[in-house]
Amino acid sequence: MGESGDLLQGSLELLVLKALSLEPMHGWGIGQRIDQLSRDVFHVTQGSLYPALQRMLRKGWIRAEWRVTENNRRARYYRLTASGRRELEAKAARWRRTSDAVNGILALRSSEGTM
Amino acid sequence: MSRISDLIERLRALVFPSRREREMTEEIRFHIEREVEERVGRGADPGAARREALATFGNIEAVKEAVRDASGVRLLQDLGADFRYGLRSLGRDSLYTTAVVTVLGLGLGAAATAFAVADSVLLSPLPYREPDRLVRVGQLYQQNSTVWQLSTVDAQAILEQQRSFEVFGLVAWGEATLSGVGTPEKAPIGAVTSGFFRALEADAAVGRVVTPEDEWADAEPVAVVSHALANQRLGGAEAAVGRALTIDGLSHTVIGVLPEGTEKLGGVRATAWPVLKLRPPERRGPFWLRGIGRLREGVTLDDAARDMEAISKRIFPVWASSFQDQTARIAPMPLRDTIVGDAGRAVGLFFAAVVLVLLVAIANVTTLSLARASARESERALRVTLGAGRVRLARLPLAEGLVIGLAAGLLGFGIAVLGFRILGQLTPNLPRVDEVAIDGRVVAFLVACAILSGILVSISTMLAAFRSSSAPVGQGDGRRTGSDRRTTAFRSALVTAEFALALPLLLGSSLLFVSFSRLQRVDVGFDPEGVVSLSLALPDARYPGYAEVQTFWRQLEQRVAEVPGAFASGLTSELPPGQAGNINNFNLIDRPVQPGVAEHLAPWLVVTPGFFDALQIPLLEGRWFTEADSATGPPVVLVSRWWAQRYYPGESAVGRQMIEGGCVTCDPTTVIGVVGDVKYLGLAETGDAVYSPLAQSQARTAHLVVRSRAQPAITLKAVREVVAGLDPELSMEEQTLEARLADALTGPGRSTALLSVFAFAAVALAAVGIFGLLSYTVRQRRREIGVRIALGAAPSVITRMVVGQGMSYATAGTVVGLALTILEARWLDSFLYGVSASDPLTTAAAAVALLLVAAVACWLPGFRASRIHAVEAIATE
Repeated sequence: MGESGDLLQGSLELLVLKALSLEPMHGWGIGQRIDQLSRDVFHVTQGSLYPALQRMLRKGWIRAEWRVTENNRRARYYRLTASGRRELEAKAARWRRTSDAVNGILALRSSEGTM
Repeated sequence: MSRISDLIERLRALVFPSRREREMTEEIRFHIEREVEERVGRGADPGAARREALATFGNIEAVKEAVRDASGVRLLQDLGADFRYGLRSLGRDSLYTTAVVTVLGLGLGAAATAFAVADSVLLSPLPYREPDRLVRVGQLYQQNSTVWQLSTVDAQAILEQQRSFEVFGLVAWGEATLSGVGTPEKAPIGAVTSGFFRALEADAAVGRVVTPEDEWADAEPVAVVSHALANQRLGGAEAAVGRALTIDGLSHTVIGVLPEGTEKLGGVRATAWPVLKLRPPERRGPFWLRGIGRLREGVTLDDAARDMEAISKRIFPVWASSFQDQTARIAPMPLRDTIVGDAGRAVGLFFAAVVLVLLVAIANVTTLSLARASARESERALRVTLGAGRVRLARLPLAEGLVIGLAAGLLGFGIAVLGFRILGQLTPNLPRVDEVAIDGRVVAFLVACAILSGILVSISTMLAAFRSSSAPVGQGDGRRTGSDRRTTAFRSALVTAEFALALPLLLGSSLLFVSFSRLQRVDVGFDPEGVVSLSLALPDARYPGYAEVQTFWRQLEQRVAEVPGAFASGLTSELPPGQAGNINNFNLIDRPVQPGVAEHLAPWLVVTPGFFDALQIPLLEGRWFTEADSATGPPVVLVSRWWAQRYYPGESAVGRQMIEGGCVTCDPTTVIGVVGDVKYLGLAETGDAVYSPLAQSQARTAHLVVRSRAQPAITLKAVREVVAGLDPELSMEEQTLEARLADALTGPGRSTALLSVFAFAAVALAAVGIFGLLSYTVRQRRREIGVRIALGAAPSVITRMVVGQGMSYATAGTVVGLALTILEARWLDSFLYGVSASDPLTTAAAAVALLLVAAVACWLPGFRASRIHAVEAIATE
């Protein structure tokens, strides 16, 4: 999964940001949440989450801290920063534009037949 | 904002790499445990849950790598990790590490030393401002390419007429007696004009240097002194200025002290620099001045050469009566060439030898590291299977190589520091050797060499890792694989190269050795045993004229003859062997040279009859000097046998007449006898010499030579007392002729020894290389050899097979080496005496010796191969 393309990588980041916008979470939790959110459409290889988190840490969108879980275990929690929140909005808007455009093209194609 | 967080994250990863790794491991472990819990919660079997959790997560190592990649300090971190890995793995293999670091360290140390010498002597600029504008002006002859000094006439003409130089100065150097400050002592002095200091832009640290006013005939004599002289004898630099210093009997006022460490200026070493006052000349000779000029801005050496040539054309005809060589011309040459001189070739030879040794060392270490890599093939294969990347795997040997290179560089630095000490003591006569130092350039060279050799050493291992990194576990267990065969082929090539490089070194040192032993057996023409010498100079001030000087010399000879045990003694202007100080031109009356052609030259000595007796030089023809050969008698000379045979082959030279020193108005000189050859020009030179009687000369410097049955120390003490009894103010310099002869052999002896060390090192490395390679191949072919033995092959056949394989590499290397020696020959010839650089016998001997060493190195693994136990070898596979 490491060789995910730009689109896929971008969408993974979007999903992570979205998941974290609800509440701070640890890596496993993020994976679970993405599975739920995408209703199992996106199946993220769990390991590939971590390099993405590392990249986003560097970009300053998220922060990481060690906290104790409800089961009294140490886990690394990630939370959204202000710039992360802005990035989520920007990414979401871009995604919508892209998907609208793609949908439009697909609609065009189906109505005008093959080129 | 995001840039700052990026920086912080990168820094965290960089500064706390181990913490970063721990956190990552913990985070992943937590993830997997949580996943297992989840699955167990849904009712899965714990074992299956763990397997599934791991599968869902993906390759943990790959994820970690990806996270490391994403942390943005990948390269630096990996480098650190690689180095730590390199250090650990080298630490485990301490024998290998010690061996390669030592071999490479010695090579690098020698290379750094050689570079420092080559750099100071040949490459670095002279320590003057814009040194490229500094030239030496001398006289060139088309007939022989030697450079002569200028005469007073030439110097004055240049000073008046030249247009090329911003400044032009002159220096005449020699030895003088310094007195008036403590015990009289002989010291090197350089008499200079003001232009000398100005051309070099040398200034005094205290006081001033010579000015044009000081050169006026009626000006008070002044002198500049070295810092060392001021400190040792004049009470320090400050106190020295204004004090009187007597140079050769003439009192000079000290006007300035040069900066500390300035012992040499313009290639002349002197402790005192008195002003040089040029007197109006009477004839064109003698030639005693070195001209130093600073070219004007924009004036080239060629421009200056044309300028000097024009001056030559104007003045030479004026003085044709005393000098008639029309091929001579005044010419400028770069000052650097004068200072470096012939040393350039010797330094080049030294450097080349060291580079060859370093290359052999690198080849050797490479074969060692390849062998080690093959031995660790299974470890590497395991890593491949575990998912380590090709690049990473190939980088590990590089890290190891660099660790080795740097460790060896460190060792090399220590060796170079030591090397400098030794070098300074071994070669005090090497020009600019006092400037040799470990500076930034040397360190940079050493570091570059260390890194380069680290890369060279690891490059083949890296390539091997690249080629076979796809090989799964099980194929790298010691059986011969394709890549393994290629590696062995590469190692064979390296071993061949080692032999090819070792042969030129071995041949070079053999040739120098032959040359040296021939030099040792040279008939020097005199018997040095029991002969001591005492060098004396009579100062002008107390011995103003011919009469005083001759009286002193006569008294001295008479008194010395009374010294107990001294059975022969005499005076001479030159001591053999070594550089003849005075070379004179002459023209034979019955065989004059063509008009416009340079006259013949010969080393010219001034001696008393006792000199021949003291040195036991035989009279072959004619008669000795007698009392009648005095100032009032006609000028006479004795000539050496070489001289007689050169100018009068098959005839008698006795009775022939010549014009000495171009003095056409003087009486002709007659040859009265022929004596045995003595090597005044150096051991490797001819026995050319002409002797004038001391009574017919103005010589005020001479060496007293005494042959005695007593111990040299006792004789010297007695003779010193005699001289002090005659004149307590005279400085004396003592020497035994045996020591002098030994000195003459020291230089060639040292270069022979030095090159022998290099040759020995190269041959030893080559032998170790071939031994290692064969031992390795025997181990690889254990099974095959076992089968052969089981099938009845005789042990001798096995040995022959292994030795044959090794010898094919050694022979190939030797053949390539022979080709290299052809290139070497032209270069070496000028260092050799009595043997040609392409001497077939020596070449053959060196090649055979190299092959013999190879045979011994091959035999041991061959013998071991023949002892392989057939059943065991087959069973263990």
